[in-house]
Parts: sequence; C-alpha cells; structure tokens
Amino acid sequence: MKTKLALGTVALGLLLASMPVMAHHSFAAEFDSTKPIKLTGSVTKIEWMNPHAYFYIDVKDEKTGQVANWGMEMGSPNGLMRQGWTRNSMKIGDVVIVEGSAAKDGSNIGNARSVTLSTGTRLFAASSQAPANP
Amino acid sequence: MRHRSHGRVLLTTAALVIASFWAARAQQAIPGQPSEAQAPQGRGRGRGPAAPSEPTPRLADGTVNFGRVPGEKGIWNVPYITNMGMRVVDDSGQSLAPQPAGRGARGAAAGGGRAGGAPLGGGEGTAGNGGRGGAKSEPWVPFQPWAAAVYDYNSVNQSKYDPEGYCLPPGGPRMMATPYPAEIIQLPEQKRVLMIFEGATHIWREIFMDGRPHPTGDALNPTYLGHSVGHYEGDALVVDVVGFNEATWLDYFGHPHTDQMHVVERFTRPNKNTLHYETLVDDPGAYTKPFRMAWDIPWRPNADLTEYICQENNKYLQRLTDDFDQPLFGPPKK
Repeated sequence: MKTKLALGTVALGLLLASMPVMAHHSFAAEFDSTKPIKLTGSVTKIEWMNPHAYFYIDVKDEKTGQVANWGMEMGSPNGLMRQGWTRNSMKIGDVVIVEGSAAKDGSNIGNARSVTLSTGTRLFAASSQAPANP
Repeated sequence: MRHRSHGRVLLTTAALVIASFWAARAQQAIPGQPSEAQAPQGRGRGRGPAAPSEPTPRLADGTVNFGRVPGEKGIWNVPYITNMGMRVVDDSGQSLAPQPAGRGARGAAAGGGRAGGAPLGGGEGTAGNGGRGGAKSEPWVPFQPWAAAVYDYNSVNQSKYDPEGYCLPPGGPRMMATPYPAEIIQLPEQKRVLMIFEGATHIWREIFMDGRPHPTGDALNPTYLGHSVGHYEGDALVVDVVGFNEATWLDYFGHPHTDQMHVVERFTRPNKNTLHYETLVDDPGAYTKPFRMAWDIPWRPNADLTEYICQENNKYLQRLTDDFDQPLFGPPKK
C-alpha cells in the first residue's frame, strides 16, 4: 500500500500535464469553471456509480460554525480507477480536501477536479470539464 | 417521451429567441476573452512528437491490422474532440480552421491532442466555459441557415441539451471523438469488422465487409449509428454509412445533422501507434456542401477496455433546467 501511495504521488506530476477527461454531459451547463472551490470536510456518503461517482461531505463554516453538506461529482468508476482510485479509496468519516468548480445554480453541488484523501494522497477525479486548450 | 416533446417546444422557442439571445451575448463578450478561432498561441500541452513507433502491424494475408497484435494488449485512445469544426480539412488534408500552436503542419491530422501513450484529453477550445463563437466563427463550415441557427443556440446554452448528456449514443464520426477508448476487431473469415467502444454508452458497431449494399427505402431503418458497409482500398479501411436518425449531434459543440447524412470514413494505420481517421460528411439537409474532417487516434499499449455505463445514476438529468429555469424532469418549480 505504501508503494502504491508513493507511486501515486510521483504520478501526480505526469497527470497534471495530461488531465484526463471523461466527457458525459455538458460541464458548462451545470458548473462554473470561474467559481473554483476548495472544501475540507468529512465524508458522509459515497455513490460509486456511473456515469459519475458522487461523494458528499459535511463542510463546517469556520466563522459561523454551521455545517453544510456538499455533493461532489467525479468521473465514472472506470475513469477513476485509471486515475488510481478504488471503491475503497474514500470511506465514510474520512476527512478529505476537494478542489473543483461550484454549480452554476449556487446549490451545494460541485464538480471535483482533485481530491486529497485522508492519507494525504491526492488523486484526480476524472472531471468532465473539457480542457482549456484546443 | 415527455422530454422529447419538451425538446421540440424548446427548439421552436429557441428559433424565436435565438437572435436576441445571441445579440445579448455578443454585447456581453468580454474583451480579451479569446474566441476559439482566436485562441492564444502556445497553450498547447502534451503535443510533442510521439515516441518512435513500430511499423504497421498486418494480418496473415497482408491486410493492415487495425487492432491488437496477438499476445499484446492495447486500445485506441479516442480523443475528446469537442468541436469538429476545428478539424475540417480540404481535399489535400490541410486544415481549414486556424490551428493553435503545437498542432503540426498536418493540422487536423496531428490532432488527437495527445502524444502517444498520454492519457485521455484534448478538448477543443472550450476555454473552460467560454470561447464559443457560434456559426459565424466557423466560416469554413458550410452551414445551411437553420443549421447555423441551431449551432448558435447550442453554443449559447453551452451544449446543455447535448444528447450524450442524456446518455444517448453519439452517431457518425463522433464515435471516434468521444473520449473513451475503443477497439477495432477484424473478422476477415466472417467478412465483417467490429468496433467496440467503452464509452458512448458501452456500444458497438458492425461493419459489413461482404459486399452487400445499404438497404434502401423503408428497409433502411434510421438508427443512431446508421448502416455501415466497408471495404479495403490498399491499406485503408473505407466505411460507408447511411441511415442515421436525427437524435445525435455531430460533436459536443452541437453541429447538427439530419437523416440525410452520408458519412464516408477512411481508417489508416500509418504506424503501430497511430490510427488516422478521415471522414467525409455529406448532409444536404443541414450543409450546403460536403466537408472533410481528420484526426489521429493514438494507440495505448498495455491497456484493456473497462466497463462504463451511462444510464445508472445520471444526476445531470435530475438537476438540469431548461431555458425557463424549469426542471426537465420532475414537477415544475413553484
């Protein structure tokens, strides 16, 4: 397992240069790439399902102390496995950091580009966002 | 079926509002925000020359092998081509669209967007959310007026109604532009070729190589993938496809087509690591003349197809709202 984690970290640089895309639906219709989000929260639910895996995290507002539950979209399970994920990479109760884009409608939904797991490993989330460069 | 009739209403409405919609967008355009046609130079990434490739593999009878070499793994790493307008070429293969830096002299031909072995990727100038210029930004695409209007509508709403988002399969050339890997399996003894696709709702294509003609009249049933017959011309696999339905878009950006579309595809494998794909699209229902497109699809060795199913839990449909902010499915908002 340690070897796998180390390899994952090494692979990160390579992945950065070649972000995979698993296109299914219009990213732009649902999410706003100009609204980047970075959330830290405790995993409450995981849906390891097609065409997009989802996970939900409780995010605490440091100022108000209020907790909001966010749903984050990732790629399909097979796309995530190509990124180094397994269905057990994330477990309920794990504290994770997710970076991505917020939903256009202002709801607590986001599209994850990467997730830093409780182990410290950062994995890409097989986002459906099209790359910026043609 | 509810969503289908809904779609028709939307399209009709769209025809009425498109002009004002488009004008409004034009006014809101942010200075300095590049449109696709004016994409800045030097943003290319991962487009370096691929590693030296082995020669084209061949079957026992000398035919080009478009699939695996026995004993090896490997899949075609189909690129994400979001805008086929950028892949239109002239008869000599030269790109008609202005090409971003890093895409080689062969223009579209260099364009899988990935060096050999690189993972999936390589969308077309979406610049995140923006950069959608509509039909007027692609003067080399021979739109009929209605097709230009539909394309503009799909541009303005950022492909919200892309059938692929509804888990419907792509049809025609988009099979080779949907970013999930594929395999080509030649069955010469059975006089047919199978293409199997991980994505596009886990779909397959059958290409009849036995010399049969297309069905005609009502025997030609309009389908998503159409009816494919093929033959070899030297080292090229040439596939002629008719019988498409109108439920698909040519690409993510939303170039439309009609059931009059006739597609002629030409597959070549200039070396082991490269599938060169050329296609002629002749659709007198939507375009004023035929046009050609071309791109490369890299080989990804040591890999297999895996399962991808779109229809399992498609929340996109649950959250999508129409142009009037009403849910496409479920009860209307109060």
